[in-house]
Amino acid sequence: MSGSTIRPEKILKELDELWVNLGKQEGDGESGAVLRACAMTLIVATEEAEDDVGETLAQLMRDHPSRAVVLRVVQGDGPKLEARVLAQCWMPFGRRQQICCEQIEITMTRASLADVPPVVQSLVVPDLPVALWVRSRPLMSLPEFQVVHLLADKIILDSQWVPDLEQQVRLIQAFRAPEHRVADLAWTRLTRWRESIAQAFDNPVNLGRLKEIDRVRIEFQGEHTPMSAYYLAGWLKHSLGRDLVFEFRHLPGGDRPRVQSVALQGSSLDVSITVTGDRAVELHTGVCDAQTIFPRLSEYEVLREELSLLGRDPVYDAVVRVVPEFTRRTVP
Amino acid sequence: MAAANPFQDPIRFERRVRPCAVVIFGANGDLTKRKLIPALYRLAYERRLPPGFAVIGNSRTPMSHDEFREKMRESVKQFLEDSPFEEPVWKDFASGLYYESGDLKDPQCYAAIASRLAEIESTRQTGGNVLFYLSTQPSHYTVVIEGLAASGLARGNGWRRVVVEKPFGHDLTSARELDKEIHSAFPEEEVYRIDHYLGKETVQNILAFRFGNGIFEPVWNRNYISHVQITAAESIGVEGRGAYYQEAGALRDMIQNHLLQIMATVAMETPGVFEPTAVRDERAKLLRSIHVLKPEEVPANSVAGQYGGSSVGGQNLVGFRQEPGVDPNSSTDTYAAVTFFVENWRWAGVPFYIRSGKRLARRVTDIAIQFHSAPHSVFSMQNQDGAQWAGPNLLVLRVQPEEGISLRFLSKLPGTGMKLRPVSMDFKYGSSFGVRSPAAYETLLVDAMTGDATLYTRQDMVDASWLAVQPILDDWAGRRLQFPNYAAGSWGPEESNQMLARRGHEWRIP
Repeated sequence: MSGSTIRPEKILKELDELWVNLGKQEGDGESGAVLRACAMTLIVATEEAEDDVGETLAQLMRDHPSRAVVLRVVQGDGPKLEARVLAQCWMPFGRRQQICCEQIEITMTRASLADVPPVVQSLVVPDLPVALWVRSRPLMSLPEFQVVHLLADKIILDSQWVPDLEQQVRLIQAFRAPEHRVADLAWTRLTRWRESIAQAFDNPVNLGRLKEIDRVRIEFQGEHTPMSAYYLAGWLKHSLGRDLVFEFRHLPGGDRPRVQSVALQGSSLDVSITVTGDRAVELHTGVCDAQTIFPRLSEYEVLREELSLLGRDPVYDAVVRVVPEFTRRTVP
Repeated sequence: MAAANPFQDPIRFERRVRPCAVVIFGANGDLTKRKLIPALYRLAYERRLPPGFAVIGNSRTPMSHDEFREKMRESVKQFLEDSPFEEPVWKDFASGLYYESGDLKDPQCYAAIASRLAEIESTRQTGGNVLFYLSTQPSHYTVVIEGLAASGLARGNGWRRVVVEKPFGHDLTSARELDKEIHSAFPEEEVYRIDHYLGKETVQNILAFRFGNGIFEPVWNRNYISHVQITAAESIGVEGRGAYYQEAGALRDMIQNHLLQIMATVAMETPGVFEPTAVRDERAKLLRSIHVLKPEEVPANSVAGQYGGSSVGGQNLVGFRQEPGVDPNSSTDTYAAVTFFVENWRWAGVPFYIRSGKRLARRVTDIAIQFHSAPHSVFSMQNQDGAQWAGPNLLVLRVQPEEGISLRFLSKLPGTGMKLRPVSMDFKYGSSFGVRSPAAYETLLVDAMTGDATLYTRQDMVDASWLAVQPILDDWAGRRLQFPNYAAGSWGPEESNQMLARRGHEWRIP
């Protein structure tokens, strides 16, 4: 379907035909037919190259089978709207039956943006949750996308590469509404950091010294302070329920903004987590040290975690309220 | 009361184990190598074990700590499923592995373990919390419990728990004796009787399916359900375990524990809250409601079987009596089928058919809920070719190999006439949730270390299960069974089909 108009009924019909054809190709009349799986609608707003998103979606479908609706904004003058349907299929290990999810791709120029949201409304799978992954940041604030935001139970952003964090926090706060949840993959990447800190305080000795914590040092790499550093600070402040002295320290090197270490200190307490290599991590708990690994998380892995949590995330909500205190600071 | 950890985030974080140590008796055995250590390593990989976590292995074989570590390293590499072996994680995990050889009857053995635990408590900050895991032969359980009690290891600075592997006795009397022995050292709330079937994701999913959805409970009773079939079939034989198996048999090895626990999960009342005591209370109540067969009722409601040799697909399969280590005149049941009834308002009159066997046609474990037919059919149930499609609705909960749930119902065949045919609406666990399911032992070990006994068996359940099967064991022991009575690769003895036919039912082919 190409040109400057697309019709949802036609897209849905093409989807039906796709399933019939898949059944004919794979079916042997017995158990060989494909299995259709769908647990949500996942809308992806992107400007990126096709392969990038496609690969992430192909992996994601195995954990969160969905109807993926990819909205791709391309360069160009004048109106342009195209749609195509395809299936993401895989053969689970040791099984005889392929599992398939459906994907709808809508390509548009900026001039056609306003025509897209009504189409998306018709393509949402009824009675199942809707998640919107805004992969391309400029699309987030476009007024044409307001309708799509309202469709979503959850909106997923990624602040990792965003340099203007103050503005980003304002945007996140503006998005937050009773009808839907907002998630930030920069927060998701912190789960294992937070979990390791929590683990250090599972030990009663450290738990008894909790009140001593008065300083926190967070070290990071990259061109600018990553949002995750501020999220971590906001979470520690929120969890302890009091003011602490925070030190943010920039370390040389690193190709992307990311946290390298965090240290919680008090008069007789020193708990720290430090990335010591590509993946190796040292946990210094003061009572018993340990080594572990933090494998580099792909986009697929952090999305997988976020799509598992379609309800409210009260801890993140609380941290978002605290974080502006940090983003307003100037980091040397 | 200690302050709560303010950094906890239950929505995002997996359950973590608090500081503790595990002592494994029988550390040189198969269970330790294949299941326990790989499961613990996997938990370490997921950062669910605390820094300082320690394992002390014990068996008679003399071994240094390093030799034990090396042996366990090989086991993890060989038996770890769906996970990478990461050298830094292993190194950290292995630094907490220790080994103390010794004879279980020798008090010195426990003194050595006590000394090692004291050292670990100080150097690795385990808080004196210890989980003792009995992975020995069942005949050694009592010896270990006595040793733990006499050495003072059953009490300490932190909590002390004991995990006991099945079988919990070999009949009602021995089960009660074992229980008495265990309770002389550990209170019931610190005793974890493991039934790894209950740790399987899909068995836990039965609870989610029944109590998380509002549409099934209203039909989950005698008014709508005709009968229930629970099948646990294995296609393999005894695989070198002939000597052990001939002392146990299918009724003891599978039905008394795993399958009655599954039946209880399927049939129990709704617990008020999802909390260990409430869930276990309901399971126990259901098991106590099982009608205990009178001696004269046993022959019509139970079938024992033993496989004979046959050729399947060109492969010659030997009979049970020809298996290595098996008595050529053995009267052990390699197949057992029982009709149970539950004496309560919900299930009165609904037969629960349970069967389990070795060398059956295929490996499968499932639960089939057969609903009543529609009270009056407005459609002709006969196709033009004469085929009858009167099949009532059938709900199948598949435990293995392809975990999932399917519902069979009638649908119109495309065309002008009103022809019906059964179709199946399938939910496959693996396709809707592609994430790795934790192995049963990972779940159960975390449960024991965090003090959650929901999926563990309580003594009153063990008692009730033995009560339910004891008349059958007594009957079978008191008469000469005509074995072998089914061919390897078949679906069991013909008498089993007759047992269902007497009530107008038939085994489905799972």
